[in-house]
Amino acid sequence: MAAHTLRTLVAKDLTLYFRNRFFAFITVLALVFYALIYFLLPATVDETLEMALFAPSVPPAFAEQLTQEGVILRQMESETALRQAVVDGDVPVGITIPAGWLEGIAAGEAEPLHLFFRADLPAEFQDAYRIILQEMTYAMSGQPLNIRFTEETLGPDLVGEQIPMREQLLPLFAVFILLMETMGLASLISAEVEAHTLQALLVTPLQTGSLFLGKAVTGVGLAFAQAFLLMAVTGGLSREPLLITLTLLLGALLATGIAFLIASVARDMMSVMAWGMLAILVLALPAFTVLIPGIASQWLQILPSHYLVDTVYRVANLEAGWADMTGNLLALAAFSLAFFALGALALRRKFQ
Amino acid sequence: MSEYAIVAEDLTYHYGELTAVDHISFRVEEGEILGFLGPNGAGKTTTVRMLTGQRRPHAGRATLLGLDVARHPKEIQAQIGVSFEITNLYEQMSAVENLELFARLFGVDGFSAGALLRRVGLEGREQERVEGYSKGMKQRLMVARALVNRPRILFLDEPTEGLDPTSSRSIRNLILEERERGATVFLTTHDMLEADKLCDRVAFINQGEIVALDTPRALKQQYGRRLLKVEVAGPNGQMETREITLDAPDTGETVAELFSREKVVTVHSEEATLEDIFIELTGRRLV
Repeated sequence: MAAHTLRTLVAKDLTLYFRNRFFAFITVLALVFYALIYFLLPATVDETLEMALFAPSVPPAFAEQLTQEGVILRQMESETALRQAVVDGDVPVGITIPAGWLEGIAAGEAEPLHLFFRADLPAEFQDAYRIILQEMTYAMSGQPLNIRFTEETLGPDLVGEQIPMREQLLPLFAVFILLMETMGLASLISAEVEAHTLQALLVTPLQTGSLFLGKAVTGVGLAFAQAFLLMAVTGGLSREPLLITLTLLLGALLATGIAFLIASVARDMMSVMAWGMLAILVLALPAFTVLIPGIASQWLQILPSHYLVDTVYRVANLEAGWADMTGNLLALAAFSLAFFALGALALRRKFQ
Repeated sequence: MSEYAIVAEDLTYHYGELTAVDHISFRVEEGEILGFLGPNGAGKTTTVRMLTGQRRPHAGRATLLGLDVARHPKEIQAQIGVSFEITNLYEQMSAVENLELFARLFGVDGFSAGALLRRVGLEGREQERVEGYSKGMKQRLMVARALVNRPRILFLDEPTEGLDPTSSRSIRNLILEERERGATVFLTTHDMLEADKLCDRVAFINQGEIVALDTPRALKQQYGRRLLKVEVAGPNGQMETREITLDAPDTGETVAELFSREKVVTVHSEEATLEDIFIELTGRRLV
């Protein structure tokens, strides 16, 4: 196809896209919204453990040891005040230690230790507090645990440099932006079918293949440009920019293939929206596993978006490089090309 | 170069069990305006789609400008212009943008949208988005779009349907100008008066078959009745109408006798319309 024909088609599609108030608005809004959320979220992770303590006769050694464990202690004047602090959410945990507790422990008695947990504190955090207190109690009773720990961190040591929530969300935003474009492009094609303008184009010397190549260039360009812009604005390209760029480009190709598939099965704008939402929901699943590791099973790896999310996340946050991501890139490229070819074939079949 | 712009041989098309076009054959000479007349669902648009390469015939063959449409659709589409029955313009774009887009796709050098828009009476509003146009303006723009490549064959599918008289006249003038330029025009319509005024020949299509194909005059001579309608005043002053067939051997005597015996108030000659002939041939009305 002549370059000027491709330019003509892409210019036409971009004109129509941005003259559709809904898509122009959604495109700008999504970019601004995601960037805004990113910058509003804290850039660091609060790694401190906080605890309220009411202990009328607690020995200073107890408080010191807790502080050494990284716990910030807030001494309370009464059990009532402690309870209120937990209920109000000022601290996640409160502990009351009765008078004579340490002496009882030292004498080998089973002494009470009352813990108050905030209602939304996850079970694993509750366990962490229990374990810290048990360990301290053993130590203070003169019977430390007979274990000597040796520790080694595999991969980058993130202690003190935990990945903030906004960096974990960034791949999810990028994937959302790419997937949103599936609806935009599918709608653009569907609108041409509904308005019968495709029919007018196809009685010119323009070949069907060229027509859809124009759509593909528009779709890949729009999706890639938006995701790239978001990553650039949020500093997501500071590590391995070429690798991230290639990943986003493959993601844009994948989004375009899915858009073609949606346009080939959708009958009108409403069905484009329905299919588009379904596709977004399914393909966004891998992005959530980044936020909450372990929530999903291995089957998510059959979703092509897994390789997109995983690559962006690990490159941006875990210092992964080309060598680490070769497998992911190959899988993403294979999925993207397969979906694109399938979508183009389905579309061609529908309109020929 | 073929002396026929369009040759259809046994063209057939089915939609499932329904035969929309049933083995039709006809030829259209270069520079001729052929009217393709029939009611809705008769097979007019399907025929246009096969002739313009949008649909591949299930049987038969169409040749345009000496090229087989099924084998060379793009070469043919470069030389034809099509105005569709359904309005299919880019409504979010202006008239100029619509025309320039198609001019670029046809590879037309030095295209001037302004000149074409003046021809269809859309000057002054060429930069407005098409979504704000009236139906007549959109239809005129569709015809203008079909002319961007100065086509050798112009297909117009119901170009004046539902339009105001001014828009209809504008489109009819444009069709005649194109014929003057040497273009062949394939006009589908169910407006018999329009066909009568514009077409060199007309084909009647009904239920996928061509039931008659000739010049309007020949069809009227072959199938129509010429009448004299005479209004006479009755004995009590009431008006009565008498019909006298003009082609009967004793027409002269009948007219003379009527004038001598009765008080003639008005006399009108009437000839059969294409619609009358269509009804006579098919038993159906056009709309």
